[in-house]
Amino acid sequence: MAFSSISFLYYFLPVVLLLYFMVPFKAKNFVLLISSLFFYFYGEPVYLFLMVAVSFTGYIHGLWINRSRNGRYAKISLISSVLTCLAPLLFFKYTDFAIKNINKLFGLDIPLIKIALPIGISFFTFQILSYTIDVYRGNAKVQKSFADFTTYVALFPQLIAGPIVRYTTIEKELSERTHSLEDAAYGINRFIIGLSKKVLIANQLGEFGEIISRSGNKTVLYFWLKAIAFMIQIYYDFSGYSDMAIGLGRIFGFHFLENFNYPFISKSITEFWRRWHMSLGTWFRDYVYIPLGGNRKGTLKWLRNIFIVWFLTGFWHGAEWNFILWGLYFALFLCLEKLVLLDRLAKIPAIFRHAYTLFIVLISFALFNGDGLSECLYNLKGMLGLLNIPLVNTEILYYLKSWSVTMLIAAVGSTPLPKSIIGRLKKYKKASIVMNIAAPALQASLLLLVTAYLIDGSFNPFLYFRF
Amino acid sequence: MEKIRNIATTVLFVIIIFGFSTVNIIVPDARLSFSERRLLAQAPAFSLKDVLGGDFFGKFESYTLDQFVFRDGFRGLKAFMNLQVFRQKDNNGIYIINGNISKLDYPLNEKSVLNAAEKISRIYNKYLKGINTAYAIIPDKNYFLAETNGYPSIDYDKMAEIMNKNINGVKYINIFGTLTIDDYYRTDIHWKQESLFGTADRLLEEMGISIKASDIGYIQKKLYPFLGAYYGQAAVKTEPDTLIYLTNDVIEKAHAYDHYYREYGSIYDPEKFSGVDPYDVFLSGQKPLVTIENPDSTTKRGLLLFRDSFGNSIAPLLLAGYSKITLIDLRLVSSEALGELIDFSEYQDALFLYCTQTLNNSYMLR
Repeated sequence: MAFSSISFLYYFLPVVLLLYFMVPFKAKNFVLLISSLFFYFYGEPVYLFLMVAVSFTGYIHGLWINRSRNGRYAKISLISSVLTCLAPLLFFKYTDFAIKNINKLFGLDIPLIKIALPIGISFFTFQILSYTIDVYRGNAKVQKSFADFTTYVALFPQLIAGPIVRYTTIEKELSERTHSLEDAAYGINRFIIGLSKKVLIANQLGEFGEIISRSGNKTVLYFWLKAIAFMIQIYYDFSGYSDMAIGLGRIFGFHFLENFNYPFISKSITEFWRRWHMSLGTWFRDYVYIPLGGNRKGTLKWLRNIFIVWFLTGFWHGAEWNFILWGLYFALFLCLEKLVLLDRLAKIPAIFRHAYTLFIVLISFALFNGDGLSECLYNLKGMLGLLNIPLVNTEILYYLKSWSVTMLIAAVGSTPLPKSIIGRLKKYKKASIVMNIAAPALQASLLLLVTAYLIDGSFNPFLYFRF
Repeated sequence: MEKIRNIATTVLFVIIIFGFSTVNIIVPDARLSFSERRLLAQAPAFSLKDVLGGDFFGKFESYTLDQFVFRDGFRGLKAFMNLQVFRQKDNNGIYIINGNISKLDYPLNEKSVLNAAEKISRIYNKYLKGINTAYAIIPDKNYFLAETNGYPSIDYDKMAEIMNKNINGVKYINIFGTLTIDDYYRTDIHWKQESLFGTADRLLEEMGISIKASDIGYIQKKLYPFLGAYYGQAAVKTEPDTLIYLTNDVIEKAHAYDHYYREYGSIYDPEKFSGVDPYDVFLSGQKPLVTIENPDSTTKRGLLLFRDSFGNSIAPLLLAGYSKITLIDLRLVSSEALGELIDFSEYQDALFLYCTQTLNNSYMLR
């Protein structure tokens, strides 16, 4: 079930809210657990059992690790937890990729398993891993209640597309959390903002990409617009989903960490990755990069560690070579920046640093947004004018003109400018009063607008569902 | 102040989601949408197999979208936002120029046009050798509206060129010059019957008929308000059209024989005006095979008219030159079956009359 659907907004959510706030505190986790399981069942009836089973292995391993900590089975229990947790992810996500490459390499004809990827498996696998590793490290207390542990894993606001909420983040709130009007209002506001980002901007840009892809004659401008539209779409799609998750979490009394922080204003790739999908970046930092030695074991090992982490980051996003290339592409620029570029970038005007970062990121998403390596290369060739096609034609200019306001709003909205303007206006008492009155009306209007777009729209995929 | 804002935020949110949720459950489900001219999804029947297979929830998603209260109002809100706020030039491909609604049909699908040409050639070679055969292309509204108003437009000359190159032995009748944008309804895809004398005369003349439709006396019957197919799709309020149909004693006496149901009807069915598609007034809408006969005809000529929905309104005017016209809709009947359904020796003329949109999306022709 997607947050941006009529079934979620007007059927699932009212029922869950009603039940949740009606029952005493002791029963609230149970309501969340049952509703989260139904939420997953709605989208993936068969894989519900898989998700619960993976959750159960995480729970059991947590108990085992806790019991054997400091003992001779400590490491074995940890390795077992990592392997059993990763096994379903490897099987469902990477088997066909492995078979395809073995077939190509050895000229074999092993049939593909062609099995559907369980929704959100990459996210809940990493959450369970963070739990067992943190228990092993002594950073988290073991969870003795399977129901509470499964509530953490399956918690519907963040179950299928993140952010990757670590167990330590909500450990306390699982057993004791407060609910307040302020939190509810904040959560509602955040949820509606995320919903609007997703439906009013991301979906529209996705539709724009689809329309121009169907166009007759391709031009260089087409390839650039497609790449730019996708870059903005994926930001609004994913950050919108994160906003909704954070907002819903807050309504239910959970405080999830931020996942995005205006990544397109970054002045370097290093900064970009501190602002983009922060929960994934910090996960790899804490559970892969630092255990490998980080930057503490010499330059060569440091660079090796960066490449390993970014190979895995790319591979996490998808079982295709273009995702791996995408990860390694960032590894290359991160290494270059750390070794030479950052110092030099610091000496040039900020506008060029922004341009450099946006260009590198734009190219990265052209790599990302392709069905396999050959399509990615085709897109890049198109952008670079290597396909012997015209620069523009009347058709692409029509679509550019038709969607220019949407793209402009999207571009401005991806910067802190609107927030900064609101912040400045709030300093004036009269403006602050007007905004306090207007804000709820604006939120309600946005919710109705989103409803209108959902009713009349057919383009509504969540890009990160596939991860 | 902050507290009041928080209360207002929470209360409005609760009112909207609980309010619409309750109203959606209480209000009875509609069977069809008149504005969208389609049946609406109904609540799916519960079965364990469908639930476990995921089909149930997929159907439930469609049901919640189709049966949402004030659906048309919400669609109008979205259209307003897209056109007025986001300043998009079209909404779901629908655009409006001075109250005239049209739908983008772009780009030119050369394979589809070639498919149509080959289909016509096959039918000609199989059934129509020896019959005076011609084809004509009806320009859609985009021909008049798109390019001049900055919208992408297909290459109509190229479409005609593909047809001409790939249809042998069949005469091409160019009717583009006989039409203007005023000859089409503002809220619908179709042309107006009362504006088709020039086109009908051209077709009759090129088929070798000396009688002119414009020389025949007709009485105009008016039906109002006519909200065409594009009106519902646009979801924007515009002035309705008036549907006018032309009749006279001959047409009143003429019968339309529906070969599928094996029953006689009239040329016009005004009762259909209040149905899902008011354009069904002409020959009672889309039927695979219909024969209309002119009881006062002085000729013994028969015409086979291969057509899409545009043919329904021009056929009564062409009847001036024929004793009978059989209209064939290849979207509803397979061309392979025609030999069993039609005695081709009864016909002297055959005309393929298709709109550019049909040719550009010709895979529906069977």
